[in-house]
Amino acid sequence: MHFKKLFQVLVLGGAVVGASSGCAQANAQDKDKKPPVDAGTQTGGGVKGW
Amino acid sequence: MTAARRAAAEAWAFRARVEQEAAQRFDRLAAIVAGFDPGSPVPAMMRRAADDERRHTELCSRLARNLGSPVTLDPAADLPAIAPRTLDARQAALYEVVAACCITETESMATLTTLLAGEPDPEVREVLHSISRDELVHSRMGWAHLSRESSSAEVAFLSPLIPGMLAGTIDEGLFGSPPADEDPEGLLRLGVLPLARKREVFLGTLEQVVFPGLERFGVDPEPGRQWLSHAAGLQ
Repeated sequence: MHFKKLFQVLVLGGAVVGASSGCAQANAQDKDKKPPVDAGTQTGGGVKGW
Repeated sequence: MTAARRAAAEAWAFRARVEQEAAQRFDRLAAIVAGFDPGSPVPAMMRRAADDERRHTELCSRLARNLGSPVTLDPAADLPAIAPRTLDARQAALYEVVAACCITETESMATLTTLLAGEPDPEVREVLHSISRDELVHSRMGWAHLSRESSSAEVAFLSPLIPGMLAGTIDEGLFGSPPADEDPEGLLRLGVLPLARKREVFLGTLEQVVFPGLERFGVDPEPGRQWLSHAAGLQ
């Protein structure tokens, strides 16, 4: 029950929020935008939480 | 000092540092996302979230201090980027939002609701309750961003990267044995999950919230599931 409710509130609720002001637009120029050369990791990392 | 009090003081001090990093991350991501999706509600949510996290830092620091573990924070500390260098800027932002919000903030919400379902001390309950109201929004803004990106861009590239996000999220000891002096009841009163309960919440949240959520928006959760089976010794 706990997890089912979290799915509804967070995931489905988030989708509703995301759709509230139209869709994002694809932009071909974004493909050319690279993060700063000293940014990022080789394989990717995560974010520590509670 | 009791073992529970000592462990709780360390946990709240760790949370203070985590909250401070989150404030920096949301400030940075708000500017990046606004650059390619100016119609999105997410950047404004992230700016508010950054303010929330600064307040949470204070709340967690105060509890840590009251429990006997004063926290020294460095507001000027650099926040390392976590996305793989191979991604473009928009993909890197999505990677970081999924790692920070869809995974970590969702896990935090599960932890907070589990703790609040118990009987924490009044001061601890007040802090947990205050933080949980905000963390709900912080998790939701991640799913909102993934939802928007999935409608306009290819997001399947994230799938093989989910194991790296998960590996970077957990403590090394999550799948190990609890300390010999662990006091589960004492920890719960002070706002900390005993190890077995923490593992149970982490697994349940991934399996029943995060993985179905990723799948819903076009990110195959199978590599993440395989990582989890291996990490948790389920296979």
